[in-house]
Amino acid sequence: MSRTRRDPRTERALHLVAGTARPRLDRAAAPAAASPTGRPRRDPRAEVDSALVPGPARRRLDRTLRQTGLTGQTGHIVHLIEPEIALTAPPRIVVVEEPAFLVAAVPDAPGGRLTAHDRQVLGAARLLAEGGGAVVALPGGPVEELGGAGADRSQVLAGESEFDPEGRAAALAAALRRLKVRHAVFPETAEGGDLARRVAAALGEPLFAAAESLTARAVTRAARGRRVEQRATPPRLVSLTADAVAAYAGAPREAREINALGEVAAVPRAIVSARVVPADPATVPLSEAEFVVSAGNGITDFERFRALVAALRATPGASRVVCDAGLMPRAAQVGASGTVLDATCYFALGIAGAPQHLQGVARCEHVVAVNTDLHAAMIERAGLAIVADAQEVMPALLAALQAEETRE
Amino acid sequence: MKITVLLSAGRHPVSARPCPPAVELQALRLASGLAADITGLHAGPSADGVADALGHGLSTLNLLTIKGDSDPLVSLAATLKATTPDLILAGRQAQGGEDSGLLPYALARELGLPILADVVRIDAGGEGLLAVEQVLPRGARRRVVLRLPALLTVHPAAPAPLPFTFAAARRGKITQLQGVDSQPPSAAPEERPYRKRPKLIAKSAAGASAADRLKAATEAAAGGGRLLVNPAPAEAAREIITHLREIGVLRR
Ligand SMILES: Cc1cc2nc3c(=O)[nH]c(=O)nc-3n(C[C@H](O)[C@H](O)[C@H](O)COP(=O)(O)OP(=O)(O)OC[C@H]3O[C@@H](n4cnc5c(N)ncnc54)[C@H](O)[C@@H]3O)c2cc1C
Repeated sequence: MSRTRRDPRTERALHLVAGTARPRLDRAAAPAAASPTGRPRRDPRAEVDSALVPGPARRRLDRTLRQTGLTGQTGHIVHLIEPEIALTAPPRIVVVEEPAFLVAAVPDAPGGRLTAHDRQVLGAARLLAEGGGAVVALPGGPVEELGGAGADRSQVLAGESEFDPEGRAAALAAALRRLKVRHAVFPETAEGGDLARRVAAALGEPLFAAAESLTARAVTRAARGRRVEQRATPPRLVSLTADAVAAYAGAPREAREINALGEVAAVPRAIVSARVVPADPATVPLSEAEFVVSAGNGITDFERFRALVAALRATPGASRVVCDAGLMPRAAQVGASGTVLDATCYFALGIAGAPQHLQGVARCEHVVAVNTDLHAAMIERAGLAIVADAQEVMPALLAALQAEETRE
Repeated sequence: MKITVLLSAGRHPVSARPCPPAVELQALRLASGLAADITGLHAGPSADGVADALGHGLSTLNLLTIKGDSDPLVSLAATLKATTPDLILAGRQAQGGEDSGLLPYALARELGLPILADVVRIDAGGEGLLAVEQVLPRGARRRVVLRLPALLTVHPAAPAPLPFTFAAARRGKITQLQGVDSQPPSAAPEERPYRKRPKLIAKSAAGASAADRLKAATEAAAGGGRLLVNPAPAEAAREIITHLREIGVLRR
């Protein structure tokens, strides 16, 4: 057996109280050095003490560690809160001073914010830059969180007007040429995929389109009607599907601004005018909707609910109970067995928040809930939670919206 | 107006039999709404599958015969340079070949034409102009006016293809022309049978217990919100409206 033998003498010496003429031992105090294996020993007594809820005459223990007793000095519990202390220390910024080569990432960043897909693209670029490379982010407008997402350098390459794919592609192609990047990664979205193909055509290079897996050594994609998988070493231009590569999770990087503007070739511009028409919320599919207002079992007045949805210019949704009762169409059901939303905001009226329902809301950034029950899971999930009767809040909301309209 | 619709030799997504991809038939329908002179163009060894497009509202198909493995780009570019159509329509992506969606872009580059992707509606927009509607994510659209000549790719959200009629398919003409054989693109990637790859799941969920995974799937990303207990309905309404405005989903 390779286990180290106990040494009772040194163990005893660890409990010695200093400063007294007679040797005194304090067996209750935790020994200064841990056990011979180096792992702190559990101290069940101290754990119980720290879980004690102060106050009531009857002994009550709270083992969820939510109590103030967290600061107790037992080895076990202190060990648990250690990561939090580490988090509060400012993280060091990683700097790559002299990169051996560059890898470009071209995030969509609609409205100046990185999407989850954009972060994955930067993560993929980071993977390809392993071994002394640096990641250059080339967004179409100013973006803030590039350093945290793994970019070492950044340069904004915008078109001349708001919608100028030709100009942006030409600027991008020139920048890629000038920086001599080893790889460039694009998101396979409507905008990113279009840009990737324009750049590929401008550079006269092949594009590894819609890669479904990516490592530093190999990329794969589906071809021939998704019947075969093509596999190659990563070429220069790659576009990446969503959820194929993890986003960068390491220490933040500097995202230093550089000058990457190259010699832009003249491009034929044919667009005379362009205007975005927002989606009609009443007809857009639930999975694509941006703002969903949803009714649960706490709603009885569906006429008013529909009027509210129309007034808020939202897409209507419902919980399963409501759809089962035939009060809303099945297509409106949100949740595990209904539609999983991709909305920016979810407004739940009278919904308890069953796990099956919450799974459908998992990707929503903002949740607003109205419920009579303070302890409903939906109230806990919500960014703005209102404990009130939805039947009274709905007419108040309608009146407030109407008042605003007449004032204008 | 002269319109050329590019047709590719597709495979049916379920049966894998030769058939034209649905999105190219949708392109045909968009073209037939413009009251124009429409021709189909295909470069390949034979008209297998492609010929079905004649039943969906196409009257003439030009077939550029090339060897099976040569690059169609050269032949297509040469023909289109000679015929100079006002508008070239293509599908957004082939179905059964390389499926990279790169050919329309390479062709536009070769011909020096502007290209616009994901079109679902085309209207004549006056002298030398075209008004088109482009699909954006989340159901939004973009109305674009552009100058002709141009190359457009069509999105699957465009109106459904015209129904197949056997008589029209019999009546349609196929003109065989000699295409330009060229070297196949070098360094073809290694191919193997397709296998589905697992999608990424949230980091916190990996390896944790079932309860933790459920929590990760359902908990708020940024916890800790505002809680109002029993406010007056009018106050609740005001709070909600301000909050929705701050997020930016309530525009007005
Ligand atoms: C296999 C399986 C799959 C499922 N899939 C789904 C799914 O996809 N989607 C889904 O939604 N459900 C699904 N369910 C059902 C789910 O478990 C719940 O039963 C359902 O979501 C509950 O709906 P609810 O919150 O509307 O109703 P309830 O649970 O009845 O909750 C009603 C809520 O409204 C509140 N309330 C009552 N009156 C008022 C008032 N006047 N004002 C404000 N609030 C009020 C109550 O406090 C309560 O919180 C599934 C279940 C199973 C077993």
